[in-house]
Amino acid sequence: MKFKADEIASVIQKEIEDFRGQMQTAEVGRVIEVGDGIARCTGLSSVMSGEMLEFPSGVRGFAFNLEENSVGVVILGDYLAIAEGDEVRSTGKLLSVPVGEALLGRMVDPLGNPLDGKGPVITSESRPVEWLAAGVAERQPVKEPLQTGIKAVDAMTPIGRGQRELIIGDRKTGKTAIAIDTILNQKGTGVICVYVACGQRASSIAGVVEVLRQNGALDYTIVVAATSSDPAPLQYIAPYAGAAMAEYFMYQGKHTLIVYDDLSKQAVAYRQLSLLMRRPPGREAFPGDVFYCHSRLLERAVKLNSELGGGSMTALPIIETLEGEVSAYIPTNVISITDGQIYLEPDLFWKGIRPAINVGVSVSRVGGNAQTKAMKKIAGSLRLDLAAFRELEAFAQLGTELDKATQAQLDRGYRMVELLKQPQFQPLHVADQVVAIYAGTKGYFDKVPVAKVQETEKQMHEFIRTEHADMRDKLIAEAALTDETEGMLKKALEAFVTRLASNA
Amino acid sequence: MSDVRSTYRAESVLEDPGALAVATLYAQSYLSAAKDAGIADPETEMNSLLTDVLEKFPEFEQLLMSDVIGRDNKLSIVDRVIAPKASPFFANYLRVLIRHGRFSMLPMIYSVLVRLQEEAAGKKRIRVRSARPLSDSSRSKISSHIRNTFGFEPVLQETVDTTLLGGVVLQVGDTVYDSSLRSRLKQLKGRLVEKAFNEIQSGRDRFSHPEGD
Repeated sequence: MKFKADEIASVIQKEIEDFRGQMQTAEVGRVIEVGDGIARCTGLSSVMSGEMLEFPSGVRGFAFNLEENSVGVVILGDYLAIAEGDEVRSTGKLLSVPVGEALLGRMVDPLGNPLDGKGPVITSESRPVEWLAAGVAERQPVKEPLQTGIKAVDAMTPIGRGQRELIIGDRKTGKTAIAIDTILNQKGTGVICVYVACGQRASSIAGVVEVLRQNGALDYTIVVAATSSDPAPLQYIAPYAGAAMAEYFMYQGKHTLIVYDDLSKQAVAYRQLSLLMRRPPGREAFPGDVFYCHSRLLERAVKLNSELGGGSMTALPIIETLEGEVSAYIPTNVISITDGQIYLEPDLFWKGIRPAINVGVSVSRVGGNAQTKAMKKIAGSLRLDLAAFRELEAFAQLGTELDKATQAQLDRGYRMVELLKQPQFQPLHVADQVVAIYAGTKGYFDKVPVAKVQETEKQMHEFIRTEHADMRDKLIAEAALTDETEGMLKKALEAFVTRLASNA
Repeated sequence: MSDVRSTYRAESVLEDPGALAVATLYAQSYLSAAKDAGIADPETEMNSLLTDVLEKFPEFEQLLMSDVIGRDNKLSIVDRVIAPKASPFFANYLRVLIRHGRFSMLPMIYSVLVRLQEEAAGKKRIRVRSARPLSDSSRSKISSHIRNTFGFEPVLQETVDTTLLGGVVLQVGDTVYDSSLRSRLKQLKGRLVEKAFNEIQSGRDRFSHPEGD
């Protein structure tokens, strides 16, 4: 096919002929001071707090401080393109981001501009970045489970839809891995995921996106990326922008999951902005409202009531601690805001217990309400058993002679720890988790050498899936461990154990 | 970034908003004190001091504006040099300024004073930017149009900004009414790009599988 230059020219000509420009009215001000991502402006006498402003270079900003004689503006973009004396225009709109289905599978910056080279994000809808969280009457209790696909989490610190569960730990303890596994496990459940990378290395964001893409999780995921090289204002608004994108789906009655990776870096970005704006510093030089900065963000995670469609937004904020110091300012703040935490420890991680979850310190305040009946039934005593095992383990290290019962308890404990290990990016279906934990707690693995537990577990899942699929389907359909199913499960496990013994 | 840099720049960016607020306060109090004292045109005397004395004798201006000599010395200079020639009201005002260390603000106070008086008379300053110098007819057209829409007498402050290409930009207070050719071209560009975006997307939708790829 050949293009005809005349045709294209005539189309453009018609377009220009039909164009009727309108007079533009705008409130303006003038930059009197600019630097480090912020600008101070005069004028703009009726600007709103949080209103989007435009600089002549096309860079956007928002009004952050409204003072007696000037307005402090946070610049969202290249502040080197702005000079003293430039005209600032108000837009009359609060800072908002594009939202909608078009964003699924895309990687965008906190303003909704595409970063993945897949062309423009075409959507007509947008939502303000800052949005008041749903009130008490608009919510309902969290009781539906959100399966993470991780045995240790789903069994002992279950997460419900609409819950806020903090993932906290030192660097390199697998915090992001838990969040990514959770996103991968939402495949086929209709849960829409938003991954907000805030102050992360661009290379690790690229790694996460690649994993999501390879596992087919990108189709239902939005990635909002503010790398460490992005200006602090972008890092500061990234979580709010991600929340706005998730809220769009939530208010349509859909279930959403949002991961904030990580909020300690966002707090640092906010501290930078506040100090540059000359807001007074408080503890650890964070501004006084850094608690509110996180609480209003996490409060947006809700389970809406049925009148509003019953949608939900589950938040998994991530906090990085230094040397396991959970009593620092930001960790204590976020721990107190969230409905529980998953605490990861480097010691466990290096011992090979991965995910390196410290079972004793990790809690979920929503607890059993957000578990399937089957899981609730079998995992009820798991946490206590493991705690008892840890005590015994410490005791056994003294080299004392142990009676038979204690030795048996210890042996089972070693196998349970082994069973709760799980490789990265391999989330398990909740039915398989129930089978594994049931087998472990009822002693079906007692004869298996500790080093072989993981391998045997894999064989068991294979066995159940191929030869006892009816039982598995029943477990999935009922989501409860009835006497009948339990009988079937027992029979299946016994058959598996006999086969193991005959093969050995 | 050089193309965006060509936009209109302020003639002075050294305007300190804090100082302006102080000057406004001094100007307002000067006006209300003058009203109480029954002085009809208080700005004339201040203008005369600024243009006939301080401008003609820059050394004298520097002496009074700088902090080299103390307040008491400045006061005595004003008493000896200016007070005998000035009205007692204005001399008192100068003494107040010196005592508060605000004498250097006098030019700013005067400019605010003039603006306040204009506002009191129902006039308002309007900044007009145009690509070419305004003709008398267009000037009167703009004035009458503003009079009819806003209901006040405009004082036009004209500037020529060739980067506008055509049309005019009016600024009333902090509000800008932009109907320049430059902004219209920008609008047109935006619209053409947006349309192209939509066409690309619809073209892509036509070829892609509805269930995703």
